[in-house]
Amino acid sequence: MTPVSVTVNGTTHELDVPPRLLLADLLRDELGLTGTKIGCAMGACGACTVLVDGEPVRSCLMFAVQADGRAVRTVEDLAGASGELHPLQAALREHHGLQCGYCTPGMLMAITPLLESGQPLEREDVREAIAGNLCRCTGYETIVDAVVEESRR
Amino acid sequence: MTDWQAHAERRWAGKRLQRLEDPGMLTGATRYVTDVRLPRMLELAFVRSHAPSARIVSVDLKPARAVPGVRAVLGSADVADVQPTVDIVHLDGALKTPRFTLPGDRVRYVGEPVAAVLADDRYAAEDGADAVIVELEPLGEDEPIHDDIPGGRYFHQAAAHGDVDAAFRQARHVVRRRLHAQRVVTAPLETCGIVADYDTATGELTCYLSTQQPHLARAGLAEAVGLPVSDIRIICPAMGGGFGGKEVILPEYLCAAVAAIRLRRPVRWVEDRSEALTAGAHGKEAEAELEAALDDDGRILAMRSRFVSDTGAYSSGIGAYVEFMVGAFTVPGLYDLGAYAYDTGGVVSHKAPISPFRGVGMTTSQTLREVLLDDAARALGTDRMELRRRNMVADGPWRTVLGEEYEPGSWRTAFERALELIDYDAFLVRQAAARGEGRLLGIGVSPFVEAAGIGSAGGAGGLPGGSHDNATVAIDLSGHITVALPTFSHGQGHRTTAAQLVADMFGVAPEDVRVIDGDTARTPFGMGTFGSRSAVFIAGTVDRAGELVRDKLLRVGEILLEAAREDLELVDGTVGVRGVPSRRIPLASVAGAAHFAPHVRAELGDPTLTATAFFDPPRPTHSNGTIAATVEVDPGTGGVAIDRIVVVEDCGTMVNPMIVEGQIRGGVAQGVGLALLERYVYDESGQPQTTTLAEYLLPRATDMPRIEIEHIETPSENGTGGIKGMAEGPASATPAALACAVLDAIAPHGASIEELPLRPETIAAALASR
Repeated sequence: MTPVSVTVNGTTHELDVPPRLLLADLLRDELGLTGTKIGCAMGACGACTVLVDGEPVRSCLMFAVQADGRAVRTVEDLAGASGELHPLQAALREHHGLQCGYCTPGMLMAITPLLESGQPLEREDVREAIAGNLCRCTGYETIVDAVVEESRR
Repeated sequence: MTDWQAHAERRWAGKRLQRLEDPGMLTGATRYVTDVRLPRMLELAFVRSHAPSARIVSVDLKPARAVPGVRAVLGSADVADVQPTVDIVHLDGALKTPRFTLPGDRVRYVGEPVAAVLADDRYAAEDGADAVIVELEPLGEDEPIHDDIPGGRYFHQAAAHGDVDAAFRQARHVVRRRLHAQRVVTAPLETCGIVADYDTATGELTCYLSTQQPHLARAGLAEAVGLPVSDIRIICPAMGGGFGGKEVILPEYLCAAVAAIRLRRPVRWVEDRSEALTAGAHGKEAEAELEAALDDDGRILAMRSRFVSDTGAYSSGIGAYVEFMVGAFTVPGLYDLGAYAYDTGGVVSHKAPISPFRGVGMTTSQTLREVLLDDAARALGTDRMELRRRNMVADGPWRTVLGEEYEPGSWRTAFERALELIDYDAFLVRQAAARGEGRLLGIGVSPFVEAAGIGSAGGAGGLPGGSHDNATVAIDLSGHITVALPTFSHGQGHRTTAAQLVADMFGVAPEDVRVIDGDTARTPFGMGTFGSRSAVFIAGTVDRAGELVRDKLLRVGEILLEAAREDLELVDGTVGVRGVPSRRIPLASVAGAAHFAPHVRAELGDPTLTATAFFDPPRPTHSNGTIAATVEVDPGTGGVAIDRIVVVEDCGTMVNPMIVEGQIRGGVAQGVGLALLERYVYDESGQPQTTTLAEYLLPRATDMPRIEIEHIETPSENGTGGIKGMAEGPASATPAALACAVLDAIAPHGASIEELPLRPETIAAALASR
């Protein structure tokens, strides 16, 4: 077991974890934050994307111990305290940018830094930003629509 | 029988209502099977065959038992009392191969499970699986895959409708084409999974399961593990996609269930992606040929088809039958063939068993037919669209050469509108100019029809596709309405769609309707969600059950308001006198009176405000449309850039156009994958080569063009409220549009291709060979 101190969605957790425990499993199994999904466990689908110190990271490719001393942000942090949707979440809903919902948390976390940069986005920007996030349901275009529109709001 | 469109007002149905299921999914609150954690739960991992065909010499489980965290290990002998799975499909002459949960004598494909390890967490379970020592003796190629399937062909059917041979003898032109439709994987983002929990006090087995068919899964599990159906409860919390791949009882599920019963502890197995790609829900592989006899005017006199599906190591599952049967039956499409003969069947191989996959069979038949029609037009020197016009049936009802009765559709209207939208004539001018510059532009057009809501009468075509459903509608003491459905939404937004329909029936808001699915303890029996059926069956069952409850509410209203039935309405959560807002009673009070007011109860006789009703459409519903695509092929690399994809879709009356468009977009994206990217590869020795998502290419955001959509609404004659159902047509028709477009682009070079996907290297090689 290895001690790890990680701040997740603003709360610092001091834990002892096996060195091989993946960050995704720490979030899901140890902290109960099951919004982060695992789709491939090898970094190819993007479903497990979270923010580590503000940057999108595949939590299935990072060990929990590598998150020691760092700040992790997950999908659970996006909506307001009383449940009101983050503007990006609301935009995805409005544009029908999700169907089964399984890729959605990773998609949201991949897009969040781009959107929070405050720049108006072009369609190609968004396509590139989510090119590593697989969705089998939507065909992506409604996600692109939602993000472009939200970036210009 | 009533029509929901006739209810007071159509306030909600037809609207682009934002989905009720979205907030949970967007915030990460929605639970999937993989998110279910129970106290004392063990995780399961499998030891799998690394050989495509081998005799099992020995499986030494002992080393696994010594691994820290491992609690139990199951081998073949431990699950010998589990019944082999043989599905419910009955076809005369089919040779069914029973599939044992953990085979003890031999393995037939790479990835076949041979032992199961249960541990405190998945990490330890995989350690345990790695420690199991499996000794396999490879078997030679001459060893039959199954002793009782000589030659490997487990099913064959051939039939001729009309005098096909005479038509071919008289024909002035005969065109032929073969197509190898590749093996693919269904690849929902959520893989398969189960959490099995046995209650030793009640003897009930609860399984949280990722399945499209909760009630059929319950029956299948019950039979395999030897429990009465009523002792099993299937709960599907939420499901991250299915696409046909979650219609199967996997041996892994049976292991989990048996282990939970034996060990008295909850057991979870979540398929990882490499398991899913190696041994999970594959789909679609077929070798097909089609030939057409035509006269000088380009009229089709007859067609002949041949389909052989390689469905993998076992012929027990439904996936082993639907691909080649639906393929052969859907060749006529929207054309008057005159006469048609097919020869179809399936063979086993040392590959993972295939399951149904969206657009089952249709993808191959549609692609082959449309590409062949383009060939015919080129052979006759006729415009490709003009050749289609000469053979396409007129809008309206149609009886195919196979005897299938299409309800009225906008076959030609959708086709012509798609040509207008893509501006076919202008494209030909641009294409000719581009060719002068050495650029390869192409256009492909794919008109489709899709049998969606198939009831008992629809099974007559040869596949036992008969189906029917029930739904329950109830009103509680708070005046809220609950709808319980045996279908199971896994991305299709059924909760929203059903709530829209029910809201209109009861004069309430969709948010006041709770829709329950995915739980056999809380929903009535039905077939589940597959084959574009759910909209038709939800509308049909909910309308009938809702009408029975409405009738009760209005009866109470008559008593309480002392008004005649024809003067009453359900509006804004009340029963009221039409046009008199002061004389309205909230539904909660109506429900309360039915249960607790003696005079009301006495008049009603039975105060139950719950009804379950059955629906089986008299004939299948048929949606239709046309996909048109333009592409540019890079003459150097063979790369295909999609320029435009236009979809004209007619699924009858739409309940939520936004959801319909979502199904179109997602279907087209899967079609892009099938046409250009996706390909599951085994090497010559039977070893899988595409076992990660780095090797198996799914469409990404950067692969997708914008999709332009236009709707036509030709109300159904067979589906309640004019609803036809949809979701597979665009998926199965897109590869044809893209294949026609690519082949059009390279046709001037005399090049052609007879396999999917149309990969850059294949295209470049075809161009270079000329």
